[in-house]
Amino acid sequence: MRTRREIRARKALRDRVAFHGVGIGTAFFFLAPFGIGFLASFRPNSESGLPPLPPWPLSGISFDAYRILDGFGSGVWQHTMNSLVVSLGTVVLTVAVSVLAGYGFSRYRFPLKNALFVLIIATLMIPFQSILTPLFIILARLGLNNSLFGLMLVYVTLQLPFSVFMMRNAFDAVPKEIEEAARIDGARDLRLLVRVLLPLVMPGIATVSIFAFLNAWNEFFAALVLLSSNDNYTLPVLMTAVRAGRLGAINWGAVQAGVAVMVVPCLIVFLLLQRYYMRGLMAGAVK
Amino acid sequence: MLKRLLATTLAYGLGLSVASAETISMWVRTGIGDSFKEVVKAYNAAGEDKVELTEVPFSELVQKYATAIAGGQAPDALSLDLIYTPAFAAAGQLEDLSEWAKSLPYFSSLSPSHVKLGTYEDKIYGLPLSVETSIFAWNKELYRKAGLDPEKAPKTWGEITANAEKIRALGGDTYGFYFSGGGCGGCMIFTFTPLVWGAGADILSPDSKKATLDTPEMRKAVDIYRNLVAKDTVPAGSASDNGVNFLTFTNGKIGQQSIGAFAIGTLVTQHPEIDFGVTLIPGVDGKPSSFAGGDNFVVTKGTPKLEAVKKFLEFTYSMEGQKIMAKYGSLPTRGDIAGEVLEGLDPRLKVGIEAIAVAKTPYTLQFNDLINSSNGPWATFINAAIYGDDVDGAFSNAQSEMQSIIDAGQ
Amino acid sequence: MTMSGIAFPSLHHRKRKRSGWRGLLYIAPAMALVTVFFVLPVLFTVWMSLHKWPLLGKPAWIGFGNYVRMVSDARFMAALGFTAHYTIIVTIAIFALAFPLAMFVEKPRPLVSAYRTIIFLPVVVGLASASLLWVWLANVDSGLFAPLMQRLGLTNGRINLLADFDTAFLTIIVMVVWKIAGFTMIILLTGLQAIPAELTEAARIDGARRWQRFRYLTLPLMRRTMALALILSVTGSILAFDQFYIMTSGGPQNRMISVVYYIFNQSFVSFNLGYGAALSIALLAILVTISIFQLWLLNVGDERP
Repeated sequence: MRTRREIRARKALRDRVAFHGVGIGTAFFFLAPFGIGFLASFRPNSESGLPPLPPWPLSGISFDAYRILDGFGSGVWQHTMNSLVVSLGTVVLTVAVSVLAGYGFSRYRFPLKNALFVLIIATLMIPFQSILTPLFIILARLGLNNSLFGLMLVYVTLQLPFSVFMMRNAFDAVPKEIEEAARIDGARDLRLLVRVLLPLVMPGIATVSIFAFLNAWNEFFAALVLLSSNDNYTLPVLMTAVRAGRLGAINWGAVQAGVAVMVVPCLIVFLLLQRYYMRGLMAGAVK
Repeated sequence: MLKRLLATTLAYGLGLSVASAETISMWVRTGIGDSFKEVVKAYNAAGEDKVELTEVPFSELVQKYATAIAGGQAPDALSLDLIYTPAFAAAGQLEDLSEWAKSLPYFSSLSPSHVKLGTYEDKIYGLPLSVETSIFAWNKELYRKAGLDPEKAPKTWGEITANAEKIRALGGDTYGFYFSGGGCGGCMIFTFTPLVWGAGADILSPDSKKATLDTPEMRKAVDIYRNLVAKDTVPAGSASDNGVNFLTFTNGKIGQQSIGAFAIGTLVTQHPEIDFGVTLIPGVDGKPSSFAGGDNFVVTKGTPKLEAVKKFLEFTYSMEGQKIMAKYGSLPTRGDIAGEVLEGLDPRLKVGIEAIAVAKTPYTLQFNDLINSSNGPWATFINAAIYGDDVDGAFSNAQSEMQSIIDAGQ
Repeated sequence: MTMSGIAFPSLHHRKRKRSGWRGLLYIAPAMALVTVFFVLPVLFTVWMSLHKWPLLGKPAWIGFGNYVRMVSDARFMAALGFTAHYTIIVTIAIFALAFPLAMFVEKPRPLVSAYRTIIFLPVVVGLASASLLWVWLANVDSGLFAPLMQRLGLTNGRINLLADFDTAFLTIIVMVVWKIAGFTMIILLTGLQAIPAELTEAARIDGARRWQRFRYLTLPLMRRTMALALILSVTGSILAFDQFYIMTSGGPQNRMISVVYYIFNQSFVSFNLGYGAALSIALLAILVTISIFQLWLLNVGDERP
């Protein structure tokens, strides 16, 4: 009896060790590149060309890499602000447009409904790199070229398939009775939507927001082509200049610092709102 | 609420694209040093007109400018890599500057290869802004350490190879030679073709209608570089350097490298610790040559600010403007005052000026497709011929692909 | 706002007609954006594909000339081949890692949610940032891999990973797996969790071995989820661009030119906008075909228990 329990206990222990051994190994693989890059970004300029062995600074923490990064374009602060304006603007517009559209698709019947829905989803299938030139020309006609607002509109459009799909599902999940009860109480249309339904689809909105933020923050190709003055460049465009090097030599310290500036906000946003992100992702995957 | 929000965002977006009237917008590519930026700074400090400079990553400048033209949103003027001037002029996108240019008293002493490239069907669309020639540099400190005479410039590739081996023998991460061999067509046309030009061969026929890549001279040049690689005198990073580390010489651990005259300024101001000498790049048979590169100043067709643009260009051609340019590493564009401009500056810049006399520049409307694109046949050829196993294949592939691009463009 | 969808209101019921218009009002902003920034550019692209359209200068109508040229364009065929090669390898690699990971993080155990989060982290950073980070790690002089392998005595001297096709390709595959595996893992996880625990339990009692349970129970029930993960992975891979552009500029001797990269080169390097547009349309056709095939796969999954 005792020995059997002992064997079982030992097997459980071995199991646990194996489990966490694998877990820690896997976690290391996924975390290490961030960690090494982040640590290396604090090395002084004299060390930035050396291999990261070890990755941490050997002669005291230094902000050289960030200072050099700041020397590109109009300064890293300005470009970070541009990226923030574009990303947050994209979030606000995406939420507004997709909540309305999701509600419309979920609650109303109208002609060509399915065709229009498929049209929105079809946006996913075109590599937008291939429609960039027409996009540029259209924005120029609208007087919106080289403007962060124009870029925002393009990003919102790119976000729509996912967001409208998400929001339609979110509204579908709200029981019709709640809406009818509110209608009886006299709430109509936009008021009904904002006061009664919005709080119920908050998780969906959180999901849509996170995806919109991350995609707008990280996008570089459209920004590269559609923006044409230094002052308007977003962070990823700044990074192409850093990657191209200056005076014929790439400064890896500046690259690491730039990656840190681009990556850290994404990680923070995700870690704070992880619950909503995952919930939305799974809801989308199950549907 | 939503409407107001939209309105404010809209206002913000529009507010960004408003520009004041007497400001010239101008683009310049990254990576050509600070000389032009300093001229603009001086001009903005002195004059009434302002020049608003936008730095565009060098690899994206051409497509960005072309897209901007397509959208009617191009800058007033542009510092354009001179090799692209024919293509843009041919497309009818540039302002004809012939009359004004010829009226300049110093017109005949402006850098000839720039004016040649700036000319299309007898009209002048581009004028020299910065001149850059390719030259050969060696690190005197490493020469000394390797037991070589630091004051003796190598005259042949045999000498260079022998020196490279001796420098490599110092061990560690000290290497004898460097080039950007990972698909940087621009770097290699600049530093490598002088080897065949010096011997009288070329990669394109004079009328640019035929690819003439496979010549005995080019085979010899390729062998020289292959040999340098085989003898481990070139760092491993070279094979994948697409140009971002073009100036690896500045790290002080490279014994010899063909670089641009711009780099003299960079080395003197940014890396005063490096003691270096410069000479002309020897051809495969010892006769030197060089690539005359740099930027042409071009004006977008139909700009309303033509007069202001001309005024600014006259400033850069003035003694003051030329001196600022030279101080920050660009060679004088005006031959007539070159001596005076370079007075008191680093004597090595004179080698850069000497190179102009033996320098060539290919004239083709398809420079980007053939040569500069990192996915073009020339860039591919360099990597395959120098680093690959099948040299013959590299030659025949590149030769036929270049010819097919030329034919497709006819 | 423009009303993009053309409405054909039913004339029989006034009430339905009104509600129809109201629904259209709600979707109007979305439709306006899609029309202006998607439909118009696509139509424009189709129009351009029928022209010889240099970026500079005047376009000329050439009918289907661009499409004819495409068929005999060896470089386009090479790009197609490479993209297919990449898509297959990277999808297999992602699934090979994501499936075990999904099973690993499925059971509620201590620290499991931490592992899940960590594995997912790379998903939220941009592909451009990830490529920049990894191109540094893979740099022969200043990066991590080559010096580390040298120091561990695995290689004689430093190997330039990005200079040789096989090693450069492997580096990019590892980077993409690192970046994407978490996403696929989460999708597969939802599928795994949807399998009723009683079923697995019953199979266990019936004496089914672990592999048998996986093969005859888990896999069939996961069909739908796997089809979804497959669609996302395949579509994403066919559109791959950033990693090749940033990490290898098309790879040693141009051997890593994906289809989108080739379209980009034709449009913005060679300035053949018309040809680039035609290539885009061809790519669109390929994607639609694949998506329809995959949707069919999804439906097949539906019919089976």
